[in-house]
Amino acid sequence: MTDPNAAPEPTHAPLHTVSRGRARWHRGLGRPVLQRRADVVPAAQAVAFGIGIAVALIAGALLLLAAGNDPAQVYGRMIDSSLGGINSISRTLLRATPLALAGLAVAVAGSMGLWNIGAEGQMMAGATVAAGFAMSAGDLPGPLLILLMLIAGAVGGVVLMVGPALARAYLGVSEIITTLMLVEVSIRIVEWLETGPWKDPESQGFALIEPLPDQASLPGLFGRAHIGALFAVALLVAFWLAVSRTAWGYELRMAGSSPATARYAGISLQRKVLAALLLSGGLAGLAGAIELTGTATRLDPGLSNGYGFAGIIVAALALMRPSGVAAVAFVFGAVQVGGQSIQTLGVTSSIATILQAMILIGALVAAVLLNYRIRWVRPVGHEPETTEPRAQPTSSGTSHPGISPNPGASDV
Amino acid sequence: MSEAAIVGLLVATVQFATLVYLAGLGELIAERSGVLNLGVEGMMAMGAVSGFMMALATGRPWIGFAFAALVGMAVAGVHAVVSVVMGAGQVVSGLAITIGGLGFAAFIGQDAVRQRADAVFTDLGIAGLADIRWVGPILFNQPPVVYLAGFLGIAAWFVLNRTRLGLALRAVGESASTTDSVGHSVTLLRSGAVLVGGALAGAAGAFLSLYMAAGWTEGLIAGRGWIAVALVIFGAWRPGRLAAGSLLFGFTLALQPRVQTFELSIFGLEVNRISPALLGILPFLLTVVVLIGISFRARHRPSPAPAALTLPYRREER
Repeated sequence: MTDPNAAPEPTHAPLHTVSRGRARWHRGLGRPVLQRRADVVPAAQAVAFGIGIAVALIAGALLLLAAGNDPAQVYGRMIDSSLGGINSISRTLLRATPLALAGLAVAVAGSMGLWNIGAEGQMMAGATVAAGFAMSAGDLPGPLLILLMLIAGAVGGVVLMVGPALARAYLGVSEIITTLMLVEVSIRIVEWLETGPWKDPESQGFALIEPLPDQASLPGLFGRAHIGALFAVALLVAFWLAVSRTAWGYELRMAGSSPATARYAGISLQRKVLAALLLSGGLAGLAGAIELTGTATRLDPGLSNGYGFAGIIVAALALMRPSGVAAVAFVFGAVQVGGQSIQTLGVTSSIATILQAMILIGALVAAVLLNYRIRWVRPVGHEPETTEPRAQPTSSGTSHPGISPNPGASDV
Repeated sequence: MSEAAIVGLLVATVQFATLVYLAGLGELIAERSGVLNLGVEGMMAMGAVSGFMMALATGRPWIGFAFAALVGMAVAGVHAVVSVVMGAGQVVSGLAITIGGLGFAAFIGQDAVRQRADAVFTDLGIAGLADIRWVGPILFNQPPVVYLAGFLGIAAWFVLNRTRLGLALRAVGESASTTDSVGHSVTLLRSGAVLVGGALAGAAGAFLSLYMAAGWTEGLIAGRGWIAVALVIFGAWRPGRLAAGSLLFGFTLALQPRVQTFELSIFGLEVNRISPALLGILPFLLTVVVLIGISFRARHRPSPAPAALTLPYRREER
């Protein structure tokens, strides 16, 4: 079919009863279809994100009401604790930092249409290698130790990604499943280290890993925030420069959006896949090491705290763009801090988790409705002549990773 | 190792296998229609908490179990609307289901935490057979959900492979546009598959809260939903192999809390020195190995993976 606007009616008779009733219904009434808008809504994704937040807040308020809480009081406390004052903002930054770094890691892979679902695991792996390094080389001076720990963290993330990256590049194995599987693997390795090899001899009956040396903690920024927040901003800027201002970034995006063109232009897809995935894993590992040195006194299996999974949502909401990652990570950080603070009101912090998921669902639906119009298609014969040209999908491969098919996903 | 310990291990193996088989079968049906649903963990949590509370309220485990299936279906409905009807990304939508489902379950289950379950499933004890040594307790003295799971597995195999509905469902997972062109509704088939998948995941969650754990706590699911996702691949998207895989994964799950009590030596290796945490890695590593093996084999014959998996479909954009 060359003209997609013509003849929505099936050309063959329906095969059996599953569709017969529906086909008859079509004939009489037509059906709604989603058609991509020719006119682009300005800043559609930012609007969608705003709608997502509004939807989440309304749904959350209904939940709170149903549970017998006062939504105004709960939301007031959440906003005050996360944004009301310099200390509150420092707490939000403390959580926004790992979210932004994990989101960045996911976005690097997402720039070429790959999904790193295992950022959570690579964060754990990075923190583990960094902690192991600190335990064996604890006598180094603070700054040098921290620098080497961060490098060790990136190495840890890369190590966990080597398998999925090679399998994706050379065998076409979906990175979605392999990276996901390794999340559980790396968390359980830390659980094993905790009960056995790295057990703190002074912890008696408790399963605790040896504490890190005192000098292995990142310098503070202000309030509760640490300089990891600056690393996150610097890396986001570097990512923006690399992806949108260099030939390498251009090739990366082209390899994702149009593999055939990229191959024709002499770009090695395999090397691009390897580069994007390994870089993604390394950044997630670095995020783990920063979280370890910034917030923890010792490694534990709960360190990654869902940041890696939330980072996927952050990156998807940001459409894999660095400025968006920063903004979404900050909002999510605020929601998480708010969720912690309302426990003193007797409200469970799980409200924060629900809000984050609702923001995503709301924004996903809003983005589709902003980028598509709903048209009621009449059956053939009733349909008015249409001369409207079909809107071409936007040329940039990074524009809609959230709602476009993953080019490499068909071979799970 | 005593006979009681071995029987206990195998009884638990069958139960854990049932748990991951129910959830895995649901995921298999959704994936065969071309929809990856990474929300299994969240749907199981919602099923577990709602089934538990409903059973508590009514005093009947079956009502709780059925209610859990409905709730799982409702949660899956969100995934169906977002990823099938709207055509948004399946991966992200599924993750939102997991994160939101876990949060929502924790929220509504606050009062149910640490409540003792009054209405739970009891072992069936099939007359005459349950007393047989070894085989009796393992196969004939299990809760009814175990037998239901077996029946559902056979039913799923039959529908998928022996009916026109199953043919349409498999076709839509291979190529949505082809299936559309012969007059089937892609939206209806895929949404239906996702909803059935949600019902099975919710039921699996209820089996956990109404029998295996007999209670609800936050973190009850503990990654079993991810095991179900892994199991579908390990079972090469087929109900029969899924059953075999679930027994293997169920064995590792059953072994984890017990392994350090076993006094047994295999080839000089003291079994009780195996770390439970490392045992827990096994299903995930095996799945990665199987996935790579499939792709090696795919050079000679077609991959068992549904070709259209994770690809959204809009008729106007094909």
